[in-house]
Amino acid sequence: MKSEVPSPAGPLGRNQHGQGGISATGLARSFGRVHAVENIDFRAAPGEVTALIGPNGSGKTTLLLMLASLLRPDSGSITVAGMDPVANSSGVRAVLGWMPDTLGVWESLTGREILTTMAALYGMDKKSAAQRAAELLKLVSLGDLADTPARVFSRGQAQRLSLARALINDPSVLLLDEPASGLDPGARVQLRTMVRQLADSGKTVVISSHVLAELDEMADAAVFISKGRTVRSQTLAEAGEQTRGYTIGTLDITALRETLQARGIEASYVQDFDSARGSAKTRLATEAEAAALLAALVAAGVPVTAFAPSSGLLEETYLSLEEGAS
Amino acid sequence: MSAPVMQHPSSTPTLGYAAGIGTIFTLEIRQRVRSSGWYIMLGIWFVVIAAVVGLAALSVGVDGFGAGQMMFELVVAFVLLFGMLIAPALSSNSITGDRANGTLAILQNTLLTPWQLLIGKWLAAWVASLGFLVVTIPLIAWAMTYGDVYLPGVPVLVGMLALELAIVCAIGVGVSALANKTLFAVLISYLLVALLGLGTLIGFGLSMKLVQVEVKASEQFWSEQNLNGDSSVAWDDNAYSCGTALYPQTIFATERNTWLLAANPFVIVADAAPRPLPKPGDDSFTTVGPMGAISQGVRLSQAGQLASTPCINGIKNTEVKPEEATPLWPLGLGLQLLLAGSLLVAGRRKLHTPAGKMASGTRIA
Repeated sequence: MKSEVPSPAGPLGRNQHGQGGISATGLARSFGRVHAVENIDFRAAPGEVTALIGPNGSGKTTLLLMLASLLRPDSGSITVAGMDPVANSSGVRAVLGWMPDTLGVWESLTGREILTTMAALYGMDKKSAAQRAAELLKLVSLGDLADTPARVFSRGQAQRLSLARALINDPSVLLLDEPASGLDPGARVQLRTMVRQLADSGKTVVISSHVLAELDEMADAAVFISKGRTVRSQTLAEAGEQTRGYTIGTLDITALRETLQARGIEASYVQDFDSARGSAKTRLATEAEAAALLAALVAAGVPVTAFAPSSGLLEETYLSLEEGAS
Repeated sequence: MSAPVMQHPSSTPTLGYAAGIGTIFTLEIRQRVRSSGWYIMLGIWFVVIAAVVGLAALSVGVDGFGAGQMMFELVVAFVLLFGMLIAPALSSNSITGDRANGTLAILQNTLLTPWQLLIGKWLAAWVASLGFLVVTIPLIAWAMTYGDVYLPGVPVLVGMLALELAIVCAIGVGVSALANKTLFAVLISYLLVALLGLGTLIGFGLSMKLVQVEVKASEQFWSEQNLNGDSSVAWDDNAYSCGTALYPQTIFATERNTWLLAANPFVIVADAAPRPLPKPGDDSFTTVGPMGAISQGVRLSQAGQLASTPCINGIKNTEVKPEEATPLWPLGLGLQLLLAGSLLVAGRRKLHTPAGKMASGTRIA
């Protein structure tokens, strides 16, 4: 996973100790009678972005809290960078960066003060703390607001400060809980680039999000959980190989229907009621098959205006799991 | 994206014990000094105390007797009273507030240990409540100018006052670590402080029935020169004798239940302070001011009512050697330290992460 990161020793990636990523097996945790996590197996490799996907209340945050050494699992075992968070919590915390889904900021403190305070809590001296804080504020584009009280931050700004905070100790394992929520489109692109760079510099990155299309672009692997259980783990390459839905737009729905039927492809059709325009939805097994179909349609003279997957790779898996569950 | 490289050792970072406490302390104090409400509260506080002390100076200063001591003790009593009212509010929000804010888990996820967190928060709450003592320094200085303040008592009174504030803050921080909701934490802290301040008085009052005893008293006979003509006498321990006609009299053996007052903050502060010895031949009061009055009251209560009944079983009570009153404050202080200490220990267990059992309806972050 070596890529074009400017310098392996840039602000994002220096600390290479604690190889091993995250490995968790048979995790369970309940709160009273609520079984938040029933049986989760989870793996995240160094140098990769692992997406954690699941509906609301499926146990994503509980899992991340256990990985972050804040919650003790009722059963199962966890290894983070080669250490057990229950037995050696301070060892894990030293190499871990955790960005919670709640925006915890000290409102009367400035962004710079929050970061230097956090740096101090990781045992950094004043000078390097100040330097690190300045570096990270610049990285998350909060340089102009560095000395403004966090009270006036917008949600997106607080979110970026929270990311900077999670990076303060230059962690080798990074847990991001819904990092994109509240960010504007520009900041989302920036976050995506940053997350990619962090992983490429050798860090283990776990990211939970609802915006599946976004995860397509940065994740290397995905773990799907539902009702406190791991329902599937797959790499993005695997996801690309599964049957996908495609939407084909055309100016002449009749011609499209005839060509598809001639090739024996089942599809559902939608036609505009005042013109010949319309679209067809179908399922294709591989990307090669999709390319061949498009070529055939064009060769047959069907006026195709759009030919694209109906949903993202991860969304496809997510939806197929939901179908399977119901 | 290519900011300068920061060199830091690749070995596992460590956080010094004092450094962790210091960082939390600074974090708390920074937040405190930035809230304007804090300064308004200190301002109102100063005005109220100044008014009370000023009025005391006016009314006591008329005959020029004991004005300084009175004013000084009033300041001490007021700071203690308002400290009891303010310190729980200052401290019991410290951890529940972070919990509600989502910042507690962030602190717990660093190298900080629960004890460092608790001690840092406690020190910050204590220093903040000492602010209420510090703003009264001009008033204490004013009292000093009268020249009659009993100097050996000053450091003890002020020191014990600071210690009491520290204990109340420890109670508040301990409760705060245990409670899930700020309102609940504030309520419980206030109830515990009320238990010390008022509960001890109520307990003492209610136990009176239990220490009620019947003794045989008798009349006193006074020599002519002590009788003033009206029904009063010029008291002199050596100038009366006891009659032999005994009659039953109900008294309260308060020497048995005075210990109930021990944990009262006012009793601890007053009881610990040294008092000026009465000058020989001078019967005038050696105590003026509220703290002196409390101290004297407690000592009298410790002696028991029997000690102030002139004739028991036909014998003068001065012939029965009174027991030496043992200071009450070490017991009280011990009880308070036990309470505050156990709350802190329980709070530390609650703050331990990875968290095991959790109360229903709470979340880590």
